[in-house]
Amino acid sequence: MPARLCVAAALCAAVVLPPAAAAPRAATVKVALLQGEQVVYVDRPGSTVAAAVRGLLAGPTATEKTQGIKSQLPAGTPLRGVSVRGGVATIDVGIKFASGSRAESLTARVAQLVLTATRVPNVRSVRLLVKGGTPLGLFPGILASFPLTAKNVTAPPRMPPPAPAPQQPKPPSAATRALQQRLADLGYMRADEVDGRPGPRTTSAVVAFQKWSGLARDGVAGPATRAALSSATRPAPTRPGTGRRVEVLLDRQLALVIDGARVTRTLDVSSGKPGYDTPAGSWKVFRKEVRSWSVPYKVWLPWASYFVGGVAFHEYPEVPPTAASHGCVRVPRWDAQWLYTQTPTGTPVTVIGRSR
Amino acid sequence: MRALAVTVAIAALALPASAAPPPTKKPGVLTVALEMPSAGFQVGIVRGRTVILARGLEIDLAAQVAKRLGLRVRYLNEPAFSKLLKPGLGDWDLAVAQISVTPDRSTKVDFSTPYLEADQGVLVRVGVKPVPRSLAALRKLVVCAKRGTTGAGIVTSRIKPTRKPLFVANLSVLLYDLFAKRCDAVVLDAPTLAALRREAPDRYGPLVGRIPTRERYAMAFEQGSPLRTPVNAALKAIARDGTLARLRQRWLGADTAKLPVLR
Repeated sequence: MPARLCVAAALCAAVVLPPAAAAPRAATVKVALLQGEQVVYVDRPGSTVAAAVRGLLAGPTATEKTQGIKSQLPAGTPLRGVSVRGGVATIDVGIKFASGSRAESLTARVAQLVLTATRVPNVRSVRLLVKGGTPLGLFPGILASFPLTAKNVTAPPRMPPPAPAPQQPKPPSAATRALQQRLADLGYMRADEVDGRPGPRTTSAVVAFQKWSGLARDGVAGPATRAALSSATRPAPTRPGTGRRVEVLLDRQLALVIDGARVTRTLDVSSGKPGYDTPAGSWKVFRKEVRSWSVPYKVWLPWASYFVGGVAFHEYPEVPPTAASHGCVRVPRWDAQWLYTQTPTGTPVTVIGRSR
Repeated sequence: MRALAVTVAIAALALPASAAPPPTKKPGVLTVALEMPSAGFQVGIVRGRTVILARGLEIDLAAQVAKRLGLRVRYLNEPAFSKLLKPGLGDWDLAVAQISVTPDRSTKVDFSTPYLEADQGVLVRVGVKPVPRSLAALRKLVVCAKRGTTGAGIVTSRIKPTRKPLFVANLSVLLYDLFAKRCDAVVLDAPTLAALRREAPDRYGPLVGRIPTRERYAMAFEQGSPLRTPVNAALKAIARDGTLARLRQRWLGADTAKLPVLR
C-alpha cells in the first residue's frame, strides 16, 4: 500500500508538483487525502480537475478508511462548477465547504483542494469560490480571495519550532531516586535519567508504568502504584518477532521498543484520537525527518519517523495519557530523539489495537 | 421625537416579536453594512456586496440587536472602510466594522453606545530582525495599515517612518503584502491582530506590542437616524445581561491590554 501513496511533505510536494512531472496520458487523477499528520495522494479515475475534485469530495474508500486515511472536507459538499483558464482553476463548491469553525479543519480542507487541483496537468493555482462567493478571512492564515498555489498551502514557516519552556529543576530526594531507579530497571526510563529530581520526566515514566499495569493514569506513585512496582517485571513483547522493532499498543497508549525478545524501553505515547485512529497493522519506518512540517495541520513535528503514509512517531509538547493526535504517535520531548536514533529506515512497527 | 423612539425601544424589548419594530430601510429587516474580513470580528463569504456567510463578534452582535428589536437581520459588505462613514448614501441601516468614535467622524455619522474599547497593535512579519520594540525601531521598517483607519493615522503622525509606508484598502491586501514581505509591520486594531496570530501562529512574526489609543468601537448610523435610540437600548441590554462578555470571550479570547506598550 505505501508504494501507491506519495507522502507530501513540503519537500516532496515541491519536487512532484510542477505540471511537467505529471504523467502525460494519465487515466487517473491524484486526490489529496489525509493520513496522520500529512497529505497522501490516492488515485481516482479521470483526467480533469472536475474529476479530481469530485474524487476529493467523495472522500476515502472503505478500505482507505481502515488505513486511517481521511478527509477534512465535510461529507456531502457539492461541487457547483469548475473552469480552467490560463492555469487557474476556478472551483466553486457548496456552502458546506465552509461549515464548522475549527481552524485546523478549515485550513486542511483548503490545502486538500489546492493540492488535488494543482496535481492536474496545466493547473498552477486555484481560485476558490464558495456558493459562488469569495471567502474573506474564513480560512486562517490562507488568503483565499487570491488564487492559491500549492506553495501557498504547503510552505513551512521560516521559523523554528517553539522551544520548550524552561523548567526549574526541583531538589533531589532519595525517595524519588529510588522510584526512578526502579522505573529505569523496568525500562520506563533511561539509566542516565535517574537524578532524584521529580518532574515531568518521572511523571511520564510513572504514567507509562500505570498504562502497562492497568492502573489509573495519574502519574502519581501512590500506594497502588508502589505496590505494583515492587512486584513488577519488565514488560514483554506482545507479539513474536526478531530483531529491533517497535510495538504500538493502542489500548495501553504505549510504545515498546524491542530488541530480540527483550523490551529495551517502554514509552509513554499518545496515538490518534477517535475519528483519527492510528491504523493497526504491520508497517516499516520508511522516512525520517529531524524536523518535519505538517502540511495540513500546520505544526512542527520534530524527530519524525514515518511508518505508514503520513503517520509517524514524532515529538510533541503535549502527550496526554489518552489518545489525542491526528493519527500519529506522539512521543514526549525527552524520548523523541532517542526513539528517532533507535528506528532507522526499515524498522518494523506493529500497531496493535488490543494487547491484553 | 426622541421620547417616542425610547417608547418604541422599550416596547420592542418587552415584546420583541409582536411590538412594532423600528423603521428600517427595508421594512422588518435590519440591514447591516460590514467591511470584511477582520479576524475575530467579521469574516465570511461575499458575492459582490451580498454576504453569503458571516461569522464573528460583530456578526453575532448585530444579530442580537436585530433580534431584540424584533427585526430580521441582513448583511451587506462594503469593499472599503471609507464607504461606511458616508451612510447617508447607503442602502443600509447601520454599519459595524470596528469603527472607532472620533470627533471628526462624529460630524459625518451618528454613533451608537460603544461595545468594545481597544488599542492599536503592531504585528511584524516572519523573519524581521531585530524585532522592533519601540516606535523608533518601527521607523526604519516598511509599515503598513488600512487606509482611513486609526492605524494609518498613527503611522503618519506618530511613527513617521523613514521608508514609504503602505496604505491599502482592506485586510486581505494587507496580509497579502505582509506574506509577500512587501511590508514588515502592520498597525491595526490590537484585538484583530491577536485573533489573526492565534488562528495561524506560523504565518506571522510576534505581536510586539500596543499603542494605547483607548478607542471605542460603535455602530454608525446616518445622522439623525431614528434607529440610534432603540439600538442603544438593545446594546445596553446585551451588555447588562452578559451576552456581550460572552461574545467577546468566544471570538476574541486574549486580553490585548496586557501587551507591552510601544513608546
